[in-house]
Amino acid sequence: MSAGPYNYSYIFKYIIIGDMGVGKSCLLHQFTEKKFMADCPHTIGVEFGTRIIEVSGQKIKLQIWDTAGQERFRAVTRSYYRGAAGALMVYDITRRSTYNHLSSWLTDTRNLTNPSTVIFLIGNKCDLEGQRDVTYEEASKFAEENGLMFVEASARQMGNRGDNVEEAFLETAKKIYQSIQDGRLDLNAAESGVQHKPSQPGRNNLSADQQASKDNCAC
Amino acid sequence: MLAVHQDVINIVQAKFLSAEIVKSIHLNVSALDETYNDDNRILALVEYNKTFALFVLISARKKPISISDLCIETVIPIDEYFSCDTEPIEESQSHIIFIITSKKIKLQFKIEIGIESSNFASEVIRSKEVSLYNPPVFVWLDKYIGTMSQLNRNSDLGEQSDTPIIRQRITQGTTAINRESMLKYQLKLKEPEFTEKQEFTIFVGTWNVNGQPPSVSLRPWLCYDESPPDLYAIGFQEIDLSKEAFLFNDTPREAEWQKYVMEGMHPKAKYRLVALARLVGMQLAVMINSQHYPYVKNVSYDTVGTGLLGKMAVWQFGWSYITPPSASVNCHLAAHVEEFERRNQDYKDINARMNFKRNPIAIKDHEQVYWLGDLNYRITDLTTSQVKTLVARKELNKLLKADQLNQQKERGNVLLDYTEGDIKFQPTYKYDLNTDIFDTSEKARPPAWTDRILWRGKGIYQVEYRSHMDMRISDHKPVSSLFKSEISVVDPLKFRKIHEDLLKKMDKYENEYLPQVTVDQTEVKYDLVKFREPQTREIIIANTGMVPAEFEFIKKLDETSYCKDWLRIIPYCGSINPGETCEVKFEVTLETSLQNIYDILVLHLKGGKDMFITVSGDCQRSCFTSSIAALCRINVPIMQLSEEEWRLAENNESGVLYSVPREIWLMVDHLYRYAGTVQAVAESLLLFLSYTKDPVIPFELHDTCIAAASNFQNCRQIILQRVPDLHRNVFLYICMFLQELSKYSNDNGYDARTLPLYSVTSCSGIRYVTRSRKTAGASRILSIISS
Ligand SMILES: Nc1nc2c(ncn2[C@@H]2O[C@H](COP(=O)(O)OP(=O)(O)OP(=O)(O)O)[C@@H](O)[C@H]2O)c(=O)[nH]1
Ligand SMILES: [Mg+2]
Repeated sequence: MSAGPYNYSYIFKYIIIGDMGVGKSCLLHQFTEKKFMADCPHTIGVEFGTRIIEVSGQKIKLQIWDTAGQERFRAVTRSYYRGAAGALMVYDITRRSTYNHLSSWLTDTRNLTNPSTVIFLIGNKCDLEGQRDVTYEEASKFAEENGLMFVEASARQMGNRGDNVEEAFLETAKKIYQSIQDGRLDLNAAESGVQHKPSQPGRNNLSADQQASKDNCAC
Repeated sequence: MLAVHQDVINIVQAKFLSAEIVKSIHLNVSALDETYNDDNRILALVEYNKTFALFVLISARKKPISISDLCIETVIPIDEYFSCDTEPIEESQSHIIFIITSKKIKLQFKIEIGIESSNFASEVIRSKEVSLYNPPVFVWLDKYIGTMSQLNRNSDLGEQSDTPIIRQRITQGTTAINRESMLKYQLKLKEPEFTEKQEFTIFVGTWNVNGQPPSVSLRPWLCYDESPPDLYAIGFQEIDLSKEAFLFNDTPREAEWQKYVMEGMHPKAKYRLVALARLVGMQLAVMINSQHYPYVKNVSYDTVGTGLLGKMAVWQFGWSYITPPSASVNCHLAAHVEEFERRNQDYKDINARMNFKRNPIAIKDHEQVYWLGDLNYRITDLTTSQVKTLVARKELNKLLKADQLNQQKERGNVLLDYTEGDIKFQPTYKYDLNTDIFDTSEKARPPAWTDRILWRGKGIYQVEYRSHMDMRISDHKPVSSLFKSEISVVDPLKFRKIHEDLLKKMDKYENEYLPQVTVDQTEVKYDLVKFREPQTREIIIANTGMVPAEFEFIKKLDETSYCKDWLRIIPYCGSINPGETCEVKFEVTLETSLQNIYDILVLHLKGGKDMFITVSGDCQRSCFTSSIAALCRINVPIMQLSEEEWRLAENNESGVLYSVPREIWLMVDHLYRYAGTVQAVAESLLLFLSYTKDPVIPFELHDTCIAAASNFQNCRQIILQRVPDLHRNVFLYICMFLQELSKYSNDNGYDARTLPLYSVTSCSGIRYVTRSRKTAGASRILSIISS
């Protein structure tokens, strides 16, 4: 048992966005509870879930905000983007309209989060191959053009090959963690969506203190 | 003295009643036992009526700038149980650990060494002294203890700049459960599943070497048994009796003896030193068969000197090869026959004062404890020759009855729950050097079993308990005991699996312990909303989660309040216990002209989700909230107009039909004719004038009017030139009516300066701006004009 095995060293905030009914809540539920909700009511508000994962041996607590997709709530849900380290942008591969709206979701995300926010595009309900309305190729192209990470996933087909739910959440975390390692993501920025919690006192502290005192001077 | 922080002290003080005085604070403190390590805590020493308490506050920033940055985390009364201490940090010169112990908790904080810390610590110590003189009463703390679990309760919503900041709190990890203690507890419960009982042979030896240098191999002692033990715990006493050794606690002898120990261990196995503790001529060494060495964890030791110069000293160390730590204690208690009470006391002191740094638990809390040493208990009530005779006759039982340790133990004075095996060997003290002959010197001390080995704990089986007569260099004979002890060994694979499962379960708990509520409706719809006719709807918030839910309606980004001004939410925040519900009333009151009301309210759960509640309803159009200009364009009651007609009137697109609104004319006419029984109509007129969409004197002229108030000409000019025609009409119309009214002031008792005039003025003329001051100006205009 190394020091502080119970603790996590980081908290990452995620938001899940996308049109109503694309399966945002199901994806969250699948990720946190490993269960599929066959008839999930519309989210009227912002649901909250957490799970602790491990990336490169570091324990990370994901704090996930699942937003209401209904258009009428759009103005309100915009206040939840701020401070997100990861944004999972979901569409439904069986409903083209949800794909068509992606650019507007993307605009919101870009405007309301910071440049280091990792945006992951998820084409959900890929278990419904027969009803497919958006091809993998075009979505993949869209993702590439906009610098997004992308998978097709299914919140229903749990455990099967290609459910990709875990992947989406974990890959996002890996990318964020990488940004921290590279120094692209400034942990001290209030809106980075990441909090660092060194579990060993006295080790990581020094640099944090120095940073903090710099901050103090600035204001 | 602490002027540096006076500003912060003031902010912290605001958190308390004025009679509760913040005596001293310490900023930038980090809590060590917390999951996180940020230094945003503040320690505050607070006094109330000569009683003191230490408060731990969490600050939202490094240096709080307002009271809402602070919330109280812990309250510790400074009472008889309170103590504080410091401990250095290995890797740090600049910080120390500040340890606070109270009846219920032990807290450790990391603080920076400096003036601030020393001032603060001395204040705390002083307050402790004060509290000793007059027994403190801590009723005043109750109110704070009540708020502790509900973090941030005091932070007023109005001071939150926007919602994300409120939500940030969640990000700060305020979850309902303490992961760490939960996991420890769960692991403990599951221990049998990942540990396995294994039998270890343990060789415990003790020898008072009487200051002699090692000169013979220790094998006859340490290798007495056929097969090699798994672990040795070897204690020596009186390694060096020289003055230097006492004074400097340092002697080359220790190393020499240790070398002999290492060489003297069983040749059939390889051993490694696990720990070596030394104190003034005593040492305790623990060696383990090197095949087990990698599994030894958390070794720590401590030494405790008890009183008189060197003669008594003790130490101990704990190791946990396994989950439950074991300890062995080597001690050398006070000498001399009559000192048995002193020895009892030494024993108590050792127990009380021993403190393992790594794993701070008391000796008695170890799973298995081996107590060895020169305990120095003698044989009482028998002369030296009697003892010698009994020994020679091998009547040890009679002697053992006279043994002080047995007697004291029986009376419960010492080593109460320790077991000692049957002693089948003759007393180990005192022999002439290099012989097996009891002391023949002048002093002729009576022989005694000074050297003993006892144990405490489950699963310990003593195989051998013996002395080693052929070790002759000291006046004591070494004693040893071979134990077979059950030690629960962690199966790393099983442990890993269970640990991971638990972590997963805890993650689930994290979600399960999130506050959860449901609301019976998320759409609140009103019937047609009419001017100043309040309507109330209720929603029921039910706590369906496992923890108390604190809810609060919070404002959306870029909004100034959590709801529009036509709505009141009662209560807008509160706390609901699991299984309980709370009714929240939404009361709508329409006082402006709106076609419909619509808003999405954000119901926020502290530490949890947000819910959106949509409030909507259509509004009835009303002459009260319409514009003067629009009303002058209609000649029928407003309700009778078609949408189109009303739209045109509102946009000033239809023709002006009256010079003042029909409604005003009707009301004034009524007042004029039926003076006396007019209360209701008069009030309506006042209401009407105060709710018109735009005031009679337009907003933009308010300041000019006030500036001109003292000058009749200026006032006149404003009214004639700047006020729009229809508004001027209304103004003059009202003024003339008032003038008319004042003519009869003798009859009706109204004076131009009395209430009705003022109200009319204030309502019609100027509104929405700090009423008292500006209306005074406006009424002056009016009175000048009307006189
Ligand atoms: N076949 C299939 N159905 C899914 C999948 N994910 C979600 N659904 C279904 O799609 C419906 C909508 O899912 P939700 O998770 O409620 O959608 P949402 O994006 O949260 O919707 P809003 O909360 O209104 O924004 C539900 O009936 C789900 O059962 C999936 O991967 N495959
Ligand atoms: Mg949803």
